[in-house]
Amino acid sequence: MDYYHTPSTVDEALTIAGKLSGNYTFFAGGTDIQNYRKQQLDTNEYVIDLSEIEELDSITIVDGALHLGAMTTLDKIVSSDEIQNHYPIIAEAAKTVATPVLRKTATIGGNLLVTNRCTFYNQSQEWRDGVGSCLRDVGDICQVTGGKNDCYSRNVSDTATALIVLGAEITLMTPNGIIQKSLKDIYLPCGIKFHDLEERCILTQISVPIEPKKWWYKKLRLRKTLDFTSLTVAATIDTAGIARVCLNGVSMSPILIEKPLKELTLEGLISIARKNCKTVDNDLMPLKYRREMINVYLKEWWKSFR
Amino acid sequence: MGLKQIELTVNDFSHPFLVESDETLLFTLRNRLYLTGTKEGCNQGTCGSCTVLLDGKPVLSCMTPTLRCVEKKVITIEGISSGENLHPVQKYLVKNGGLQCGFCTPGVVMTAVPFLEENPDASRREIKEGLSGNLCRCTGYKKIIDALENAAAEMRS
Ligand SMILES: Cc1cc2nc3c(=O)[nH]c(=O)nc-3n(C[C@H](O)[C@H](O)[C@H](O)COP(=O)(O)OP(=O)(O)OC[C@H]3O[C@@H](n4cnc5c(N)ncnc54)[C@H](O)[C@@H]3O)c2cc1C
Ligand code: SF4
Ligand code: FES
Ligand code: FES
Repeated sequence: MDYYHTPSTVDEALTIAGKLSGNYTFFAGGTDIQNYRKQQLDTNEYVIDLSEIEELDSITIVDGALHLGAMTTLDKIVSSDEIQNHYPIIAEAAKTVATPVLRKTATIGGNLLVTNRCTFYNQSQEWRDGVGSCLRDVGDICQVTGGKNDCYSRNVSDTATALIVLGAEITLMTPNGIIQKSLKDIYLPCGIKFHDLEERCILTQISVPIEPKKWWYKKLRLRKTLDFTSLTVAATIDTAGIARVCLNGVSMSPILIEKPLKELTLEGLISIARKNCKTVDNDLMPLKYRREMINVYLKEWWKSFR
Repeated sequence: MGLKQIELTVNDFSHPFLVESDETLLFTLRNRLYLTGTKEGCNQGTCGSCTVLLDGKPVLSCMTPTLRCVEKKVITIEGISSGENLHPVQKYLVKNGGLQCGFCTPGVVMTAVPFLEENPDASRREIKEGLSGNLCRCTGYKKIIDALENAAAEMRS
C-alpha cells in the first residue's frame, strides 16, 4: 500500500481511510501535523493528503449564512471581502494565526482541529526522553502538574475561539452519512482526546448565520506574529442582549460563557472564567501572568461596550 | 514507507529520481538536487529561511511533503534571477546592505517576490507584516525593509 494518498473527493478520501484501518493521518495544510510527525508524536503509517479536494475550498453566502469549506486557507479568509464585511471577527482571528506564508497553506479546518499543545510535549524525542515522557506520550504521569493523572495540554485554535462565539455549526462526512453539530460541542475537556470526531470522519464545512453582533477579539502571545496563543478571548453581544465570551489557550478546550448581558457583572464573569479554565504552567508565558491576563482581557472587553 | 520514483519540476527543469515517501521538499532540494540555496534553519516552520514557490505560491519547504509537489512547479532561490540579471528584490538587498551573514536571505527573497507582486503598493508597515515570518538574527530588519521598499518602487515602474 502506498504511503501517500491524494484523493480528489471526500468520498475517495473516506474509501482510502476505510482500507487503512485507522493507521493513517489526514493532512490538510499539514502546517500543524507535520511537526508532530517529525517529532514522532504522530506515528501512523500512512498519510491522506486532503489538499487536492477542490470541493472543500470555498467561501459562500447562502440563505443568510456564511459557509466555509474546510480546506479554505486562512489567507483566503483574511482577504475575503464577504468575511470582512459580514464577519470581521473571523478575518481578525485568522490573521492572528501563525505567519502570512503559513496562512497560505494552513486551512480553517486544520485550525479548528489543531492539536493541543504543551511545553512538555511539543518537543523532540530526545528532549522528551530527557525529562521523562509524560502521560500523553509514553509515560505514566503528567509532568507539568508534577504527577497528576490527567492531561492539561492547551487547545490553541484562534479561529475556534471566534467561531464559537458566533455560534458556528460544522458538517462532518463519515461513511455512515453526514453529521451536523455545533462547533462548541466537538471539543472535549481532555488534553489527550481533545475532540470527539470519530475515525474516518472528515470536517467538510463550517457555517455561521449572519446576524448583527458587536464583537471583540484579542490574542496574547510573545511576539505579534508566529507565536501560538497564551490566551485568546473572543466575545459577541447579539441584538437580544446575549453575551457570549470564549477563552482559549488556557484550558484543554475552549471555554464558553453565555449569559444575558443584564445578568452579568464583570466580577461574576471573571470568577466563572477563572473557575472553568484549568490553566497550568505549560506555556512559554508564566502561569501567574497568564491567569492575571484573563482578568485584564475580560476587563478590557467589559469596558469596550460600557 | 519506502522509496518512490517521482519526477519533480524545479526551476523549469524536470528531474526524475527516487525519494523517501515521507521526506520534505527541503530535504529533496538540498540533499538530492544539491540546491543548497534554500536554507534549513529551524525545520519546524518558524524561521522562513526554507521558503520556495510552489505553483507561484510561497510555501515553507520544511513543512511541505515532497510527494505533494509532483506535477507542480517549484521555484527556488536559484531560479529567481534571469541569468546574471538579479531580480529587483535581490538587487536592492545587495545595494542597501539588507544582509549580513546571508542565511535568511534566500527565504526573504522568496517571500518578498510573491508578496510584492501581489501587493505592489504595500506600505512599509504592510511589508513588515508580509515578511513577519522571516527571522533574521543579524540585520535588525531595517535595511531589509528599506531594500524591499526600493525593490517595490522599481517593480512598479
Ligand atoms: C510557526 C508556526 C506557528 C503557528 N501558529 C499558530 C497560531 O498562532 N495559532 C494556531 O491556532 N495555530 C498555529 N500553528 C499551527 C497551524 O499552522 C495552524 O493551526 C493551521 O491552521 C493548521 O491548519 P492545517 O491545514 O495546516 O492543519 P493540518 O496540520 O493539516 O491538520 C491539523 C489536524 O487536523 C486534522 N485535520 C485537518 N483538516 C481536517 C479535516 N478536514 N477533517 C478531519 N481532520 C482534519 C489533521 O489530521 C491534523 O490532526 C502554527 C504552526 C507553526 C508551524
Ligand atoms: S499537560 Fe501533562 S500529560 Fe498533558 S502533555 Fe503536558 S505534561 Fe503531558
Ligand atoms: S527551516 Fe523551514 S521555516 Fe525554518
Ligand atoms: S543576515 Fe544573518 S540571519 Fe539574516
